[in-house]
Amino acid sequence: MAEEFSTDGMLDIYLFENEQLLEQLQERVLEQKDEECFDEESINEIFRTMHTIKGSSGIMMFDNITAISHKLEDVFYYLREYHPENVPHLELVEHVLQVEDFISSEMAKIRDGSPADGDATDIIAELDKFLDKIKNGGTAEEKEAPRQNVHVEPKQFYIAPVATSASRFYKIYITFFPETEMVNVRAYKCVYALKELAEDLLYSPEDILTDERSSDIIMEEGFRILLQAQCKEEDIREVITVGYDIQRVDIFECKAEEFLQGFDFGDQEHVIDLDSSVEDIEARNPAQVVEGEELKLSDEPVEKKPEKPEKPAIAPGDFVIKSREPGKQKKLAKDKPKSEKASYISVNVKKMDQLMELIGELVISESVVLQNPDLKVPGLNLNSFNKAAAQLSKISTDLQNVIMSMRMVPLTNTFQKMNRIVFDVSRKLGKDIEFEMIGENTEVDKNIIEHISDPLMHLVRNAVDHGIETNEERLDSGKPDKGKVTLSAKTEAGKVWISVMDNGKGLDRNKILEKARKQGLLDESRAESDYTDKEVYQFIIQPGFSTNEQITEYSGRGVGMDVVVQNLQAIGGMLDIESTPGLGSTMNLKIPLTLAIIDGIVMETAGSSFVMETSVIKEFVRVKEEMMIHEPNGDEYIMIRDECFSVVRLGEWYGMKGYKESVEDGVMLILELEEKKVCLFVDKLVGEREIVVKPIPSYIKKVKGLSGCTQLGDGSIALILDAGGLVE
Amino acid sequence: MNEMRDVIKRNQDSQSAANEHDEQKGKYMTFKSGNEYFGLKIHYVSEIIQIQAITVIPETEDYIKGLINLRGKVIPVIDVRLRFKQKPFEYNDRTCIIVINVKDMLVGLIVEKIAEVVEIKEENILPPPTIGRIDKGQNKYVYGIGKVGDTVKLLLDPDKLLNDEDLSVVEQVNDMSIEEE
Repeated sequence: MAEEFSTDGMLDIYLFENEQLLEQLQERVLEQKDEECFDEESINEIFRTMHTIKGSSGIMMFDNITAISHKLEDVFYYLREYHPENVPHLELVEHVLQVEDFISSEMAKIRDGSPADGDATDIIAELDKFLDKIKNGGTAEEKEAPRQNVHVEPKQFYIAPVATSASRFYKIYITFFPETEMVNVRAYKCVYALKELAEDLLYSPEDILTDERSSDIIMEEGFRILLQAQCKEEDIREVITVGYDIQRVDIFECKAEEFLQGFDFGDQEHVIDLDSSVEDIEARNPAQVVEGEELKLSDEPVEKKPEKPEKPAIAPGDFVIKSREPGKQKKLAKDKPKSEKASYISVNVKKMDQLMELIGELVISESVVLQNPDLKVPGLNLNSFNKAAAQLSKISTDLQNVIMSMRMVPLTNTFQKMNRIVFDVSRKLGKDIEFEMIGENTEVDKNIIEHISDPLMHLVRNAVDHGIETNEERLDSGKPDKGKVTLSAKTEAGKVWISVMDNGKGLDRNKILEKARKQGLLDESRAESDYTDKEVYQFIIQPGFSTNEQITEYSGRGVGMDVVVQNLQAIGGMLDIESTPGLGSTMNLKIPLTLAIIDGIVMETAGSSFVMETSVIKEFVRVKEEMMIHEPNGDEYIMIRDECFSVVRLGEWYGMKGYKESVEDGVMLILELEEKKVCLFVDKLVGEREIVVKPIPSYIKKVKGLSGCTQLGDGSIALILDAGGLVE
Repeated sequence: MNEMRDVIKRNQDSQSAANEHDEQKGKYMTFKSGNEYFGLKIHYVSEIIQIQAITVIPETEDYIKGLINLRGKVIPVIDVRLRFKQKPFEYNDRTCIIVINVKDMLVGLIVEKIAEVVEIKEENILPPPTIGRIDKGQNKYVYGIGKVGDTVKLLLDPDKLLNDEDLSVVEQVNDMSIEEE
């Protein structure tokens, strides 16, 4: 308790948690952007999220974030409690996203170590306007309860009780040492600590975190807490200990009536409903008050409300935390099928690596045990040993697979971001666009995901901006009024295919050709009609190529497609363009599943294992000596089916000893890389494996034709051959 | 031998602590290569493992024997005798690899025989002799000669051992031995 209140270590956690919250928030908002309004659960969720962000930002003293989240919380508070009709849903969605963007950008600043100095006043003003709007658009009875923003009004912190007969009531006075600094924060710490015990908690002054004057009040008058709890005085003393900051703690037990009177002043409350009293909260809502309803908590609000409707028990900005939702579902949005959401746990990467290493060690030890020479003693009965050994092997294989799969993450988040982009851009451009995601659960290596986010964003923007026509154009051409962008992902043949499909106007062949001619990209000797569609479409990935006459905010500057292709190539991916005039275009991205694991063929030469990437191997051939052509200078060629290949003998290339001399004893591999073909001669093939690529330690200088190494199943190391090096 | 294990264990267990450094100060892991005994400061030693299957890398210096798999980590191993231009020796299952950690790089040293961990006091370490061939700027990786009782250990600088140009340690050793006598 008596430790210095420091925010240093908390900053990381603050950023991490809020980032996650915002991500979830965005997902939820976008999920329901096409509904007529948010369903109750979402409203609660957004409200809670804003509340949490407000709270933590308050503690971290990021005032602008606190203020803006407070404002949005107000809006959602209102939505939740009064269910106003005629809420302009899209406007609301935009507001939420705006707030989310603001907080995200502020957090980015904080992460970079610069001050979070963004100005939230505009957005807050807009939200105020919006709040007024939905209030005025609400029903008559709600108009009876006009309210101001209570942010600045004095409030008491009030935690609704779950009163039981065992509860006791205490008045607690905490006096701080006169020279103590940041008493308000210290006071909050006490409150926070007491929440553990409390069934009901009330304190004064109440807005200790946001109001700096509260420090002075606490210094002058002391900090007063009313506590209802099933604990003894000692328990409280244990939580609030006299230390270097707290001079004295006075605890008086009191009666329930006294407790309910609260402090002498203040008739506004902050409600923190820790448990189950949803009914109470609803009951306190003036629109729903039923006379004579049993109220277990403070009778004050109930009595006062009818007389003072302008001061209801719960006002926007109050703390209302529900731990349980009311059972009944209110009208509101259609029931959405619940999307399956996995729960996650974040793990330090170091621990993951450690686990990976340990599993590697386990595999080796396993083979040491199972192939132990001691077992070779003749006459041993190994039946049950072999059974157990098989079981062990199975488990360790599974274990390996699991750790490999841990690197893989679903594309869901990336796709969600695209959803956001479609929403933003289409709104700005006034296009009515539907967005569909297919196969967003497809898993890809984490490193790859980082690389495809930008290219995808460009493609999606292009689809919305260039691809899909304006509403009028669509109407004219007799198309369904809604444009549609489909983002889909699937795994096939060890690659991930992601496609961005739109049902817009498609690529204009003539326009592209014309532009290409202007830019001098066309080959003079070729007729324009000679170009295939594929070739024509390839022009749009040239740097600086844009057929859009007008430069819009989103595209048309001709940067984009070339960047897309560059980014893809960096991770070994490809872009394929399909388009049908009038019906839309599809951009297909072909990406390797992972950078770290490749499919490879394991082979042996002179007792050493080598691996070659499967995709460069065209075929394996057994050859006859007479097919060989020997040049006097030692070069060798081979004729296979009337085609002549130069031959590289792996053993000779690396000057190894004991490799097979006769081509009839070994295997020829025909490699093809970028149109170049070469034959590689090895002793024998071992099999196809998934290979985890590891770099060769830097201590060993670069050897031509080797790109890395890998660990085989038995723990031995094989060298990965680089086809590029060999083809040269 | 037990003491050696303890020290190495401590090396692995904790990275921290100045007192650990104090504890290790002046301790040397010694091994035999050819007829000489060599010493390495104990804090370079990460662990000692048995010889295991080595994957040969083509087109490298002969003393670089190849790669081994150390619990999923791929580390290069060098043969100390070949490094010192001594005659090669046959590996058997008593042959050990000393894994050393130099500037965050793990390298395995194949040595003939591991001796013991000894403590050599500062005052018992003599600089290498500066007569003879040493003037040619060749000998660098033996940075000192440690006296333990009436034996002599050649103290190695692992960084230079790994990275310096080739040289024949036998020649140096002969020079030194002569001087010692």
